Amino acid sequence: MTVLVRSWDTLAESVQGTGKRQNQDWYAFAGTGSGADPLVLAVADGHGSAAHARSALGARFAVDRFVALATEFGRAAGSCDEPGRLARLMNYARNDFPRALVQAWRQEALGHWSRHRPVADLGRPEPDADEKLTLYGTTLIGAVVTPWLLTAWQVGDGDLAVVGHDGSVGRPLAPAEEDLGDETESLCGPQAWRAVRTHWAPVFEEARIPRLVVLSTDGLSKSFASGDGFTEFVEGMDGRLATEGFEGVRTALPDWLRHASRYSGDDTTLAAALLHSYAARPPTETEPKTDTRTDTHTHTDSEN
Amino acid sequence: MSDIPGGPMANRPVHFIWLLDCSYSMQGEKIARLNYAIRESVPEMRSVAHDNPAAQLLLRTVTFSTTAKWHHQTPVPVDDFTWQDVEVDGMTNLGEALSLVSRELQSPPMPQRALKPVLALVSDGVPTDDWKAGLKAVDATPWGRKAVRVAIAIGHDADRSVLQEFLANPELQPLDANSPKQLAAAIRWASTAAVKAASQPVAGSADPLVKQPFAPPVLDDDDEDDVW
Repeated sequence: MTVLVRSWDTLAESVQGTGKRQNQDWYAFAGTGSGADPLVLAVADGHGSAAHARSALGARFAVDRFVALATEFGRAAGSCDEPGRLARLMNYARNDFPRALVQAWRQEALGHWSRHRPVADLGRPEPDADEKLTLYGTTLIGAVVTPWLLTAWQVGDGDLAVVGHDGSVGRPLAPAEEDLGDETESLCGPQAWRAVRTHWAPVFEEARIPRLVVLSTDGLSKSFASGDGFTEFVEGMDGRLATEGFEGVRTALPDWLRHASRYSGDDTTLAAALLHSYAARPPTETEPKTDTRTDTHTHTDSEN
Repeated sequence: MSDIPGGPMANRPVHFIWLLDCSYSMQGEKIARLNYAIRESVPEMRSVAHDNPAAQLLLRTVTFSTTAKWHHQTPVPVDDFTWQDVEVDGMTNLGEALSLVSRELQSPPMPQRALKPVLALVSDGVPTDDWKAGLKAVDATPWGRKAVRVAIAIGHDADRSVLQEFLANPELQPLDANSPKQLAAAIRWASTAAVKAASQPVAGSADPLVKQPFAPPVLDDDDEDDVW
């Protein structure tokens, strides 16, 4: 029996946007962060308007498919000391993974459509695949972490921040220029794999592994008056983890997201992973943990 | 009061700009009905704005006749907006009005952090200046290209092809207002549906389908004696 030691502590929260009938965000995380059991985090933001009436499901499909594929990818990265393997993995991450992800999401969404045809469409010509997929439109951000590798992917808006071992905050998947208005790339777009952005970051020295990874839907970053607000938020969150500890931030997070949602008007979701050795350090005295489970956590909004 | 890190928060502005034809052909009942319709639409705009608390609705008006000028130059929050009647005067210099608006759609003065602006054009005639140059100036601005556009054609003499080109989307049609009743309905629709559309997320900006985020209303067949 393999005993899996939890390397990361995770927290996540999702709040429904003001005036919205349903939360169309979804998130999940799985794994411990070991080579055999990579840590996977994902958040997705269903577009939510009438044209994307099933986007809450689309977001869930995106997260579910990502967790499955990224877990497989992370396990394959478990033995990247083999000559040439790292280069092959990088090539896969940048070129094949986005195609596999988009294909898996499309299959799941189209399968759902076939099983749940809109009653109003009965008797009408069957819509083409792109029209069906538009109903499920969603963004996605996901990351996989092993002791030797951090890889992340993003399609559409939302934010990924990585706090390095030295406390520096990076947003490696941020576009050079933010989209104006509320337009976003989407998994339902034509050739969506071309819109997937990839962050590839091997860890060559254990001491240099990032200490905090934060994924968020755009409801958070769009609530700040300044374009730098999200980066400052992550810097502040990192500081609060140092002063108030993991549980302090976990307790405060729902209120933070509700507050942000009042300004952005959007569903707002955050998932984060904190290196356990960092989380457990003073001044917050937490019990050292050894966890033998491999959990998959998701938020509990009811499914359509 | 939340202690969330990251600095101050703010909702995002939606800039709504009326472009109103005030040429002589609008004289009489048309301009009177237009003033009445816009004044009557303000409470409904406030209601839409209150339903979208994350959006801050700001209004401006440009009139065009022999010259184009700002009727409200400074963006006015919808709660503070009061309508002062516009008056007719001369030609139909739409191009000048579009050029005037294009300067406001640059960033700055438009903030990067905003929802899509709304451009609502109302006209009853044929432009008398180089309107294509004005439209090109609007299309050359990032926010101009993103703007939600609506066009209302008053009466049968309105040049629908110009309004169609302004809309820049074959999926959209100018809305015909051939009577006072239809004009009131069209103004009501433009002032509310377009604001809702501007504050909705849109996926896949290259997808022509999603460039029609709202459908124009079907106005009742006109059964009034007073038809323009």
